[in-house]
Amino acid sequence: MSVQLKAKMAKGLKMSDEAFITLLVVSAAVFIFLFASLLVPNFFQFQNVVNLVTNNWAVISLGVGVTFLLVSGNFDLSVGGIVALSGVLAVWFAQAPGGANALASGFGMPTWMAMLFALFGALAIGGLNALFVVRFKIPSIIVTLGTMLVARGIAQVITHGSQRNTNLPDNFGFLGNIYLFGTSIKLPVVLMLVLVCVAVVIEKRTIFGRLTFWIGANPVAARLSGIKNARHQTHLYLFSAAIAGMVGILLASEFKSGFSSRGMLMEFDALVIALLGGVAIAGGFGSVVGMFFGALILATVTSAATGLVLSPDWQYILKAIAVFLAIVAQTWALTLKNR
Amino acid sequence: MTQQQSSALSVEGLTKDYPGVRAVDNVSFTIKQGAIHCLVGENGAGKSTLVKMLTGVLQPTSGSITVAGRRHCPRNPQEARDGGIATLFQELHVVDELTVKENLTLGMEASRFGFLVNSKTDEVAIETLATIEPSIDPEARVASLSVAQKQILEISRAASSGASVIIMDEPTAALSEREVERLFAVIRRLRDANVTVVYISHKLDEIFELGDDVTVFRDGKHIVTKPLDEVDGRQQLIELMIGRTVFQQYEPRDIADAEPILQVEHLKTSLLKDVSFHVNKGEVVGFYGLVGAGKTEIARAIYGADKFSGSVRFNGKEIGPTPHDAIAAGIALVPEERRTQGLFTNLTIRENVPVMNLEKISTTGMLSPSRERQAAEHFVAQLGIATSSIEKHTEKLSGGNQQKVVLAKCLFAEADLLLLDEPTRGVDVGAKTEIYDVIKALANEGKSICVFSTELEEILGICDRIILLYEGMLEEELLNGEDVDIAHILNVVTGGAEHKGQ
Repeated sequence: MSVQLKAKMAKGLKMSDEAFITLLVVSAAVFIFLFASLLVPNFFQFQNVVNLVTNNWAVISLGVGVTFLLVSGNFDLSVGGIVALSGVLAVWFAQAPGGANALASGFGMPTWMAMLFALFGALAIGGLNALFVVRFKIPSIIVTLGTMLVARGIAQVITHGSQRNTNLPDNFGFLGNIYLFGTSIKLPVVLMLVLVCVAVVIEKRTIFGRLTFWIGANPVAARLSGIKNARHQTHLYLFSAAIAGMVGILLASEFKSGFSSRGMLMEFDALVIALLGGVAIAGGFGSVVGMFFGALILATVTSAATGLVLSPDWQYILKAIAVFLAIVAQTWALTLKNR
Repeated sequence: MTQQQSSALSVEGLTKDYPGVRAVDNVSFTIKQGAIHCLVGENGAGKSTLVKMLTGVLQPTSGSITVAGRRHCPRNPQEARDGGIATLFQELHVVDELTVKENLTLGMEASRFGFLVNSKTDEVAIETLATIEPSIDPEARVASLSVAQKQILEISRAASSGASVIIMDEPTAALSEREVERLFAVIRRLRDANVTVVYISHKLDEIFELGDDVTVFRDGKHIVTKPLDEVDGRQQLIELMIGRTVFQQYEPRDIADAEPILQVEHLKTSLLKDVSFHVNKGEVVGFYGLVGAGKTEIARAIYGADKFSGSVRFNGKEIGPTPHDAIAAGIALVPEERRTQGLFTNLTIRENVPVMNLEKISTTGMLSPSRERQAAEHFVAQLGIATSSIEKHTEKLSGGNQQKVVLAKCLFAEADLLLLDEPTRGVDVGAKTEIYDVIKALANEGKSICVFSTELEEILGICDRIILLYEGMLEEELLNGEDVDIAHILNVVTGGAEHKGQ
């Protein structure tokens, strides 16, 4: 692979670092899939590829917001908490009042309104992130670690530490359970794919995308070049929170329940797939396409491992190994290319 | 006094070559033991390169250094320290969070099985501090000390490490007048303890007040080493520093009837003390002064990058408080530090150029790749940026080409007033001339330009009017021309305004 690449470059076909890393991630994803197919019976099937994507729609969606923030030089660890909070809020707002017990009674809003208000709840957490990071200049990793706990904490209080799933209108389960064209593909999966495509266009073809890179590459130079760093970072936090809010609402709709532990550790998975996809933790570098294939790598590794009689208990260790390998490989490849 | 006869440090035929430049050219001189030896010279004269070779940061191309009779060829700062040379840089190297005592022994802590133990070094360091400045409590947190006290702490550290030579590079740049006096007392005490001090400063008064001997550098060459008693006043020292350098020829321009475009009144910051001036349309105004005189502060205040009090009016209107507002009003800044403040080093030339004028490369928020490419290609051609492609990452360009990319950013902003802070620092001679040509061409198009520089040659070569700064004050304003008195300018910016009679 790298020999071929070198030959290409020698011919004068210059490749940008980003294209190089993306190609590397895609090749790694393909290679790992083929390798897993050799070991695991029945792994090499088209349906399996589809499953790898559809089973991970939530994390990939969160990864979009997280990737943009990472590129701008900021963390967002609050997305998992927002998933739980928005789901719980949507259910609580939609539950009819006067149920049999405290967990069965809510505000009786129409479904659409409940979901909209739940989204506002998610945006409030995003706003809180922006306020502390942008306004009070507190490191984003600390701020979003805090808001992660705030969001999940509120969800826990509302659900008394468990879940709300009774006394809901019938149409609450509609959005999350639409299947397309008689296939096993649900609406949220399609929404995720649309989101990824839109994000790619934003990243490559809009001023908004470029601002993200400028701020991440050099915040001081960005400010001196007339960029309103604060405003842009606020937008990014609100978008990330909005995506996480929608993911939470769709999951709540799919399961017709608001569960305070939903989305647990999803913020780390979203971070991990972005890093696997070649997004630089220091900012200024990365792509949504890379993140997408990073998600496929992680999904392949974990599902292949489950297929290989490894108990699911091993998945954290596998993820850890995958992340270390990915980061070492990325650094090594870039040094090699730029030597 | 007998000790003063022996030599603490001597260099012989020392030369340092950079690609295309000889920074230090066959320099030989001797520094006496237990003396305060001053190094003077203009920016770029070779002082700092010499210091870097003495302290192991750079290795000489040829020549030798002898310290206390032994050959000294350090490969890194640690080896230089072991060889008996300690350095006090302009920036402080103390840890605010630790105590004075901990700072004193930083990097030479004694330990047993990984645990810190009290040792002889600690005691020596604390004793040294007590002799130099008893008022500093060894248990105090360094954050609570003044800048001068921190500097004294660094000196104590250097002295207690057993260094026989301490090099001080502009140690008074950040000090108030009273603190300078105390620092001088400390330096004299060091001399009494037979420590040799190499003192580098642009402030000539300090040199006369403090120094025993002086060595003058000019254009990388050693001009003279002699006792300061034998130097006949500031004027003679200045003449030695500037020699008969031929400055780039300034061509007078006809801009007499231009109207003012920028009016700055009573500008004050923590450093600037009530600065007022104006800039006319089509005029090149040079701001000249030493490091710390307030040049960068003026540029950043006008640009909205720092807070200030006073009034800045551009085209008759107040400018908003952010760089965004300044750019919108028609002002662009080439910042002092191109790598940290100007460039996006991990992005390409194409991605760097358009950042200050987004409207020109987009329609309703959508990027136009073709317009972006055209812009980059246009400036690569116009400014002669040496690169194989506009897709090259700017970190891989040479200093001169990086500076041209920063300049391209500002030109793309189509500003009416350009603020150029050290526009040619660290730039090779060829690129320098090209940048000067661009500045002149812009001025002829009617753009106004402010050049903030520590290089007199640059100021004299391209500026129509020169503003002289010293320690945050606007000392004098003069028109450029054939009759401009270089010695007088140097006298003013080195704090000699009160010495006009000399």
